[in-house]
Amino acid sequence: MAITIDRSVVGSEFDRTTHPPVAQTEVDAYAAASGESCPADGVAPPTFVVSLRSHRFMPKSLARLGRAGLDAGKDIELGAPIRVGDVLTTVSTVHDIYEKTGRSGPMGFLVLRTVVTNQRDEGVAVIDQRMMFR
Amino acid sequence: MILDLHTHSDASEDSRAPVESYLKWLVRKRPLLPIDGIVLTEHRQWNPHADYRALEDKYGLLILRGAEVETDYGHVLVYGVNDAITRRFDFTNVRLPAAELIPAVSALGGIAAPCHPGRPTIGLCAHYEDKPPLEGIVAVEALNGGSRRGENERVQQLIADHGYGAFGGSDSHLVSFIGICATEFECAVRTIEDLVSALQGGGYRPIDFRERLRSEA
Repeated sequence: MAITIDRSVVGSEFDRTTHPPVAQTEVDAYAAASGESCPADGVAPPTFVVSLRSHRFMPKSLARLGRAGLDAGKDIELGAPIRVGDVLTTVSTVHDIYEKTGRSGPMGFLVLRTVVTNQRDEGVAVIDQRMMFR
Repeated sequence: MILDLHTHSDASEDSRAPVESYLKWLVRKRPLLPIDGIVLTEHRQWNPHADYRALEDKYGLLILRGAEVETDYGHVLVYGVNDAITRRFDFTNVRLPAAELIPAVSALGGIAAPCHPGRPTIGLCAHYEDKPPLEGIVAVEALNGGSRRGENERVQQLIADHGYGAFGGSDSHLVSFIGICATEFECAVRTIEDLVSALQGGGYRPIDFRERLRSEA
């Protein structure tokens, strides 16, 4: 199947979610799952941000990129620490979409950027999630 | 003079290597890796405003810039990129016509040289199996640090058949890969114009430092 690259979607916001206050039980569960043996009291491990589940993971009206896709990695820029009780808001946009060719043929890449802020409007994280399609 | 002609910094989407980290690594590895400079060849892009002179002065290494573009004959390194070249060719296009690109870049003051020609799909050898040879190729990357077993070896026949010049590059995307393969020039190369002239004129060879690095480890 041919890969369809429609760059008109770049910059479009597809999700805005305000999450319930961060609970100590969530922090403990994440720390245990990720092998964090000694989390600071009341502060989440930095990569806790990737456990946030927004309403929508992908844009609703996105042209079919290919037959199959996979997670091609994340870049996370960290800001203010996450503390128990913080109310986090995630805003997700299509950051980039492009095509490249590799040993195995053409591939499409979709980069979804999620900006995470807290109730004080402090930047908590910028997450670039890269998806590969072919 | 020894230059690594094929490198990617964190300006490329698939590399996490800052340019300064490459330079620090080369300074640290100087006795093993006698590299005098690198050429940044970011994927599918050209930033006319990038300026690495401060880093060159700080580390005493030459930093030149080119680009790695994608064509219907595989990936191609372009050296001597200028406004005329970027006006004529959209570097983000992954299907650039190689038969047009290679002579046009030469006419516009640069040189376009196929890289990792031994790789499946994105190498020149694979394309020559079902398409006619390209006109105007002066040199190919005979030694690529990212190639798998057999891929560099495959290029030797291509060079023998077509008389291409042979150069080398690390194709580094990670700091510790910088300089593992490079090109030794008989003449001094100080500018990108020098590099274009040297590649067009001959007097260079690929050089492989991997065995030396393995011995040290």
